[in-house]
Amino acid sequence: MTAIVAPNAERVADVPERAQRRAIVAIARKELGDAVRSRWFWMWAIAFALLAAVLASVALPGSRIAGSASFGRTAASLVALVQIIVPLMGLTLGAQSIAAQRESGALRFLLSHPVNRTEAFWGIHLGLSVALLAAASAGFGAAGLVTAIRSGGAQAGAFLRITVLAWVLVIAMLGVGMLISVFARRASAALGIAVFVWLAFVFLGDLGLMGTAVATRMPVDALFFATVANPIEAFRLAALGSFVGSLDILGPSGTYAVDALGPALMPVIVGVLVLWMILPAVGAWIRFRTAKDV
Amino acid sequence: MRTRIVTIALLAWGLVSVAPSLAAQEPTDLQALIDDAAPGAVLDLAAGTYRGGVTIDKPLTIRSDGAAVIDGGDDDTVITVEAPDVTLEGLVVRGSGDTLDREDSGIYVKAPRVRIVDNRLEDVLFGIFLHQAPDSVVERNVIGAKDVFVARRGDGIRLWESHRTVVADNVVDGGRDAVFWFCDDLEIRGNRISNGRYGLHFMYSDRALVEANALIDNSVGSFLMYSKDLVLRRNLISGNNGPSGYGVGLKDMDGARLEDNLLVGNRVGVFLDNSPQTVGIEQWFRGNLFAYNQIGALFLPSVKNNVFWENSFVDNTVQVTVQGGGRFSGNRWTNDGVGNHWSDYAGYDADGDGIGDVPYRLDDLYDHLLDRNPEIMLFSETPAARALDLAARAFPVIKPRPKVEDPAPLIRPPAPPEPPFDLGVQPSATLLVGSIAMMAFAVVVVLSTRRRRSL
Repeated sequence: MTAIVAPNAERVADVPERAQRRAIVAIARKELGDAVRSRWFWMWAIAFALLAAVLASVALPGSRIAGSASFGRTAASLVALVQIIVPLMGLTLGAQSIAAQRESGALRFLLSHPVNRTEAFWGIHLGLSVALLAAASAGFGAAGLVTAIRSGGAQAGAFLRITVLAWVLVIAMLGVGMLISVFARRASAALGIAVFVWLAFVFLGDLGLMGTAVATRMPVDALFFATVANPIEAFRLAALGSFVGSLDILGPSGTYAVDALGPALMPVIVGVLVLWMILPAVGAWIRFRTAKDV
Repeated sequence: MRTRIVTIALLAWGLVSVAPSLAAQEPTDLQALIDDAAPGAVLDLAAGTYRGGVTIDKPLTIRSDGAAVIDGGDDDTVITVEAPDVTLEGLVVRGSGDTLDREDSGIYVKAPRVRIVDNRLEDVLFGIFLHQAPDSVVERNVIGAKDVFVARRGDGIRLWESHRTVVADNVVDGGRDAVFWFCDDLEIRGNRISNGRYGLHFMYSDRALVEANALIDNSVGSFLMYSKDLVLRRNLISGNNGPSGYGVGLKDMDGARLEDNLLVGNRVGVFLDNSPQTVGIEQWFRGNLFAYNQIGALFLPSVKNNVFWENSFVDNTVQVTVQGGGRFSGNRWTNDGVGNHWSDYAGYDADGDGIGDVPYRLDDLYDHLLDRNPEIMLFSETPAARALDLAARAFPVIKPRPKVEDPAPLIRPPAPPEPPFDLGVQPSATLLVGSIAMMAFAVVVVLSTRRRRSL
């Protein structure tokens, strides 16, 4: 870890807002540097980029026959990959952030500078966000490059929309991870909880809903909204909507959603995702600001 | 009065050549030209606009090189043919009325042996309507429908009791169907039909040969109903995704044969409803590619006597299923020891004869649940749904009875049929630039941290 840049501290005297912004950026840069130098970051970035590129290239050979349908295949595989890897990236990185720094004493050192807890929190959040966006972009860039060169580009718009949705998802998951981090006593506990939360989002939530639907004949509207409340499902449905065009294909629940929400369907789903991006991070910030521990 | 010069060149074969000058100012009276022409004459229309709403009541050839526009003025039918042996060639026909019950059409034919070739029809309710016009030819026409709400559209091509007609190489976009009522021995070849309701729709039409058509982005690619011995071969059927969309739907069909079709990216590849309807008749599905559909083949319960072999089922979200659950009893998935290729086959071929040594069994727990609880389709292709199937395999105690058993699955997919049209999409500059920008962003982020360290 590198020391906080001194000049910022000296310039605090001018306009407070600008000073605060400068402090956040300085902490973010330091956090970004730490993230990029960490093994975690490279592991995720390389694994994601490789898998995405491989998926894009195995899904495309049928494109002469299948036209844009094979792009649908690429997109569906990519969405499944994102559903699994991207939340894990965000959650683990977020969960380790504050808890690990608290444990190692780095947080105490950081807060001994003339920065307040709000600046420290959002600085860390911003730095990690940029790191995660870079990792996600590398993966999507690799998949997009393969797709663009080997055709399937009829739906460039859909591909780019999925990318943006994945960005939102990764920041949302970072927020959840940081929420875990501010509450956890130890970094290892935070990591464990993060993995469990990931399991709940990706598998247990869906399996639970499936089981409930099968066992209790749950009404389709309840099933749909309970599903959309899960950020990873919100991402999947929004992504599906952007490359299939309609959620009709998802059976009765999808048809219900299309009928009931009409043109508001996509804004609602994306809205859920955006709420997940904002609320956990704000919750973590409030907790971090009021907590006395360093 | 209008200004026009009529040049009648009486050549050996009686060709009549018409050259309206100053045509741009006022439409020429085509009906008068028709009335003046002798039966069997050839009217060569020069460039210009002609008034529509005409009736052809004698054998006649009316032709142009695509520069003569016959404008119906958005009222009624543009050209009505009441005499046999009429040829319409190279015309632009535009602006029919929009009244469905009057069947306002671009070209409405009531007599046999007409040839309608190389015409362009624009802004018409019905495009080409053959009503009791057997032995006709409808070839290389381009038909664009009126842009109205789907329930108010007419059919791009509609044939009624017009046996032995050839419909070939037409391009139809929008509109409702290309529909064939009570027409036997049709030949439907090389047409490209998109953005309609039912691409090709057969009603009580026996022994049709349907070959090398492209049916793309309709609600249903081809709906075959109440017809016998229809052959559907080498068609490209893709993106037919209406709420109840099918690539090919068969209802009360007998003796249909689907061979070497490409069924790709539809909601349902093939839908079977009471087909074959007669006991003792088998239907064949051979050499078709079912790929990337939501459901490869969907059966209604109690559909029997269908034989599937040498087909490839590749990455359909649900390979095959029975609506509402149940098994495919009474249908065969192998013929003469040759089965189908299944992309999710997990067996092996130790003796190397190209045929899997263990049967392909469709027994996914998720699929099984889906049959009875269609609402959980919401979770199709999620990691959770896959986990469920994995669990069912690991703990066979909850393994459902297989729906399909293919005793001789093919290890390698049969060579895919040659597509009648190339759907290959162009490399995309937008995506290329976007992807490079994304990777550049990642690189810049990484480099920015390096630079800071060197300060």
